[in-house]
Amino acid sequence: MKAIKNEKLRKLLSVIIPFVMIPLLVTLGALIFEGSRYIIISSGIAVLTLVYFITGFERRQTGSRRMVITSVMTALCVAGRFIPFIKPVTAVTIISGMYLGKESGFFVGAISVLLSNFYFGQGPWTPFQMLGMGIIGLLSGVIDKPLKENGYILAVYGALTGLLYSLIMDIWTVLWYRGAFDLYLYGGAVLTALPHTISYAVGNVVFLWILGRPFGTKLERIKRKYGI
Amino acid sequence: MKGMKEYNPISLTVYFLSVMFIVMFSMNTFIFLLSFLGALTSYIILKGAKEKGFMVLILLSFLTSSLINPIVSHNGVTVLFVVNDNPITLEAFLYGISAGVMITAVMIMFRIYTELMTSEKLLYLFGGLSPKLALILSMSLRYIPLFGRQIKKVIMAQKASGQYNTESFGDRIKSGVRVFSVMVTWALENGIITADSMTARGYGAMKRSRYKSFRFDTADIVLIILSIALACVTVYCLEATQTLYYPKVEIEINGLKAYTGLFSFGALAFLPVIAEVKEMIKWKYLKLKI
Repeated sequence: MKAIKNEKLRKLLSVIIPFVMIPLLVTLGALIFEGSRYIIISSGIAVLTLVYFITGFERRQTGSRRMVITSVMTALCVAGRFIPFIKPVTAVTIISGMYLGKESGFFVGAISVLLSNFYFGQGPWTPFQMLGMGIIGLLSGVIDKPLKENGYILAVYGALTGLLYSLIMDIWTVLWYRGAFDLYLYGGAVLTALPHTISYAVGNVVFLWILGRPFGTKLERIKRKYGI
Repeated sequence: MKGMKEYNPISLTVYFLSVMFIVMFSMNTFIFLLSFLGALTSYIILKGAKEKGFMVLILLSFLTSSLINPIVSHNGVTVLFVVNDNPITLEAFLYGISAGVMITAVMIMFRIYTELMTSEKLLYLFGGLSPKLALILSMSLRYIPLFGRQIKKVIMAQKASGQYNTESFGDRIKSGVRVFSVMVTWALENGIITADSMTARGYGAMKRSRYKSFRFDTADIVLIILSIALACVTVYCLEATQTLYYPKVEIEINGLKAYTGLFSFGALAFLPVIAEVKEMIKWKYLKLKI
């Protein structure tokens, strides 16, 4: 009984969210808060988009092997942080998207952020980071062909996603702090985060450059051997 | 009312969302202070002040967020001093402190929420939305400590065979990458065995059930109604009070309406404290009876 209810709810959500709830939220936000509290509107949109993606994936059938491999990749993202000098979250998310498809890429990105924030601090930034990392995984699944064929494109893609992710999260920091966007504050936030951003992007490139191909070979082998 | 840990995950989430909504919705220093005090008291009651690391983190983020504002923002009329032709103003300084209180309050609140929402409760929440997500979440939660242990084993084995080199920076990265590569192979093969075992035991044949069931009783309904009602009263009354920092510090509290709003938010922020203290008194009383 509960399952049927859930399925109906899921179908309803997948129609309501993009066509009713998000436009409503944006208009209401603009009318009531007069655009002064962007953070609430953007938080609401981030959560709704996450729900929308998840309900979309829920309708498709996925084999148990693919599910397990997805959770293995997620756990590798989080546990990989225990190895000194390795921060594999973005790189492993990209690789999962490339070789396991966009759905797995999204889940690996979003859930590994959620889980690693249990160790590094949960906060109002969690839905944004989940959505951002999920979209990186999704995108890698969409443009998997050139990424698999050319190592340079993969490296550039890794650097770009690392940079963009940090820059977008800095926008969010400013919104949270000030309530509205402020260019000076944004400059300050970007500058203070600059060493972090650069090490992040470089780390991505190094990781993808060294491990991108062997990792892919391993996943392809598993896929061929066990027919996922 | 019952102890905060016994509430249903849904009502807990509704409570935290309504507090968080008001804290982010208002730009009012009184609200920030009330939420900070409420969150800190509930944190100390629920966890004790033992976690030194978290306290240091809170203090650091408060300091950075209150000090960065006067450096980057030069609005305000009262100039304290001038650095490199950039005026440092009292207003920007006070605004920074106010924002710092808000940021630390939200951080403590999220800490409490994470503390109350155990992984079992998290799965309950997500499982209603998407069983698939819940399964990936629960399996990853189980894999993380397993992989952590395995990583230690691999590092030890590599060290013993002379493969793990930490002399130069390049060597460290190379060794780390090698350990990760070993882990990937091991984890993928291990995962396939788990998947086959799951299929053999009938995963996917029926809807997934939960090990633990969470009750939803009158206390949960009371908490949900209280949080939403108090939040609505606060939002309605909040227009009567204002704290402005630019261009000049202006603090307004207009009559009864403002006090009602602040009082109702205070009650909302201190709800966990009230619930926990009530439980403590009840426990003392029951012990006295024996």
